[in-house]
Amino acid sequence: MSVLSADARRDYEIHRYPVLIYALVPVLAVVLQAWLPRLLHRYAAFDLPLVVTVFFGLSRRNPIQGSILGGILGIFEDALTGHPIGINGIAKTLVGYLAATVGILVNVENHAVRLIMTFVLSLVGSATYFFVVRFLLGMSVDTNWMAELYKAIGNSVIALVLFPILDRAKIRD
Amino acid sequence: MESFVVRYRNLLVLLALLVAQILGLAMQVRRANTGQGDGQEVRLIRLWANGIVSPPEKALHNTGSGISWIWNNYFYLRHVREQNADLQKTIDRLRLEQAALLEDAKQGQRLQALLNFQQKYIYKTVTAEVIGTSGTEQSRVFTINKGKKDGIDRDMAVITPDGIVGKVRDVFGHTAQVLAINDQSSGAGVIMESTRIRGVLRGNAQGRPEIVDVISDQRIRPGDSVLTAGGDQIFPRGLPVGVVDKVVNDPERDGFVDVVLKPAAHLDQLDEVLVITATEPQFSQEQQQDIATSETLKGAEAEKQKTSEGMAEKLPGLIDPKLPPDQQPLNDTSNPGFPSRPTAPLHPDRFTPANTAPAAPPAQDLQSSPKTTGKPPDHSRPAPAPQGDKQ
Repeated sequence: MSVLSADARRDYEIHRYPVLIYALVPVLAVVLQAWLPRLLHRYAAFDLPLVVTVFFGLSRRNPIQGSILGGILGIFEDALTGHPIGINGIAKTLVGYLAATVGILVNVENHAVRLIMTFVLSLVGSATYFFVVRFLLGMSVDTNWMAELYKAIGNSVIALVLFPILDRAKIRD
Repeated sequence: MESFVVRYRNLLVLLALLVAQILGLAMQVRRANTGQGDGQEVRLIRLWANGIVSPPEKALHNTGSGISWIWNNYFYLRHVREQNADLQKTIDRLRLEQAALLEDAKQGQRLQALLNFQQKYIYKTVTAEVIGTSGTEQSRVFTINKGKKDGIDRDMAVITPDGIVGKVRDVFGHTAQVLAINDQSSGAGVIMESTRIRGVLRGNAQGRPEIVDVISDQRIRPGDSVLTAGGDQIFPRGLPVGVVDKVVNDPERDGFVDVVLKPAAHLDQLDEVLVITATEPQFSQEQQQDIATSETLKGAEAEKQKTSEGMAEKLPGLIDPKLPPDQQPLNDTSNPGFPSRPTAPLHPDRFTPANTAPAAPPAQDLQSSPKTTGKPPDHSRPAPAPQGDKQ
């Protein structure tokens, strides 16, 4: 069994997508995240920008790109809220970095791995969000971990459906 | 050094991004603490985000509305004709009622202006549809499809017929962001209807509106109505806010309670809202016509009343408006045409008015009759005691 170094794995398995995918998918994620809760109300237990951040982090396997994409998506999310800009930005920057870093180490083609990764990173994102709000900003926040758990499950289910669809848009050498 | 940067460049970029965002947060919090709003850069980011997100949101919303409109207007038209006739009747009736109410409102305002009392009324509203949310449960902000070009401005009150919803936070060209009353950063002056206790309404961490810093009072009970107090310069006075759901002790201050409300408006299921764009009188042409009609009718009624008063002057009456009460013809005892009032008897008996027996023998009547004394009846004196009683 050959053991590949991290760099070697990156060289072999970096996924590339058309520019349109890079441009449209994150925007669509932010738009749907803002629009769907109006229809689904309390059943909107998902975070599409986070799912997209995880997807591109795992696929591209570049921590810098993952961090920047996560940061931009988080800042866009913050801009639509009444809260200071940067709360979601910090959380998703960290998620993007971790997704890309872990993506170098494990086989991300496996659906189970993707599912677990999305679930764990959703909880990491929520924990970071609450940390920033409570300890950096000193705001009171309702830390409902059951809701965050449901959200993590929702994100994992969406990832299970969305990742294979986006994989089809992959540029093959 | 170069190898260090190359080796740890991923981590360094991450740290740089995190530090930049933390510094940005610190600057925003500092501005907020000094009472300033968003800075230019933050506002620009919000503008860009809104510019990118709002058009697709509007397109999605319009598509959904279009499909719904086609269904409702072309496929689902049962009983519409009957409903239309009923509604037309209702409109006619309401227009008449509205004319009367507008008259009252105008009169009330005139009186309040005389008393130098400033009261805000809702005179103009813009109907807007909710096209998007903030996307997170921690922020109770939503986007409406009306903006600066529709006359929307910052800090305008947003309501539904059920109750208040929030205030306009940010305005863009064709959209605006509304901060709901259950957001932690919101604030509104409210008053409890029964106890008249005033307070400030804010959203709590669970996304429920509550009146904070209220001195503990046994009179505050679940079910009490809460209205806007009108002192915040945003919401007009007297609009429904909600009802008291529960009273909880303030964890930070002894002797104070937080009154958690059940909002009157369905804050989680908003489709259409009204933005109050004017609280000054601005009657539409139709309303002005209704008022003119009402005033004409009122004038005709006044003319009729004047004629009847003229007729009354020409006819003899019991009350002369020019005389003081003690000299009224009704009280004039010198006039034989008017019967004098009987004075109270010193010794009431069975012949006294309201004390008369149902039937009496004729002999007694003859004996007690004034004719037997040979004197005319004197109503100014008390009636003599009946002889028959003594016998």
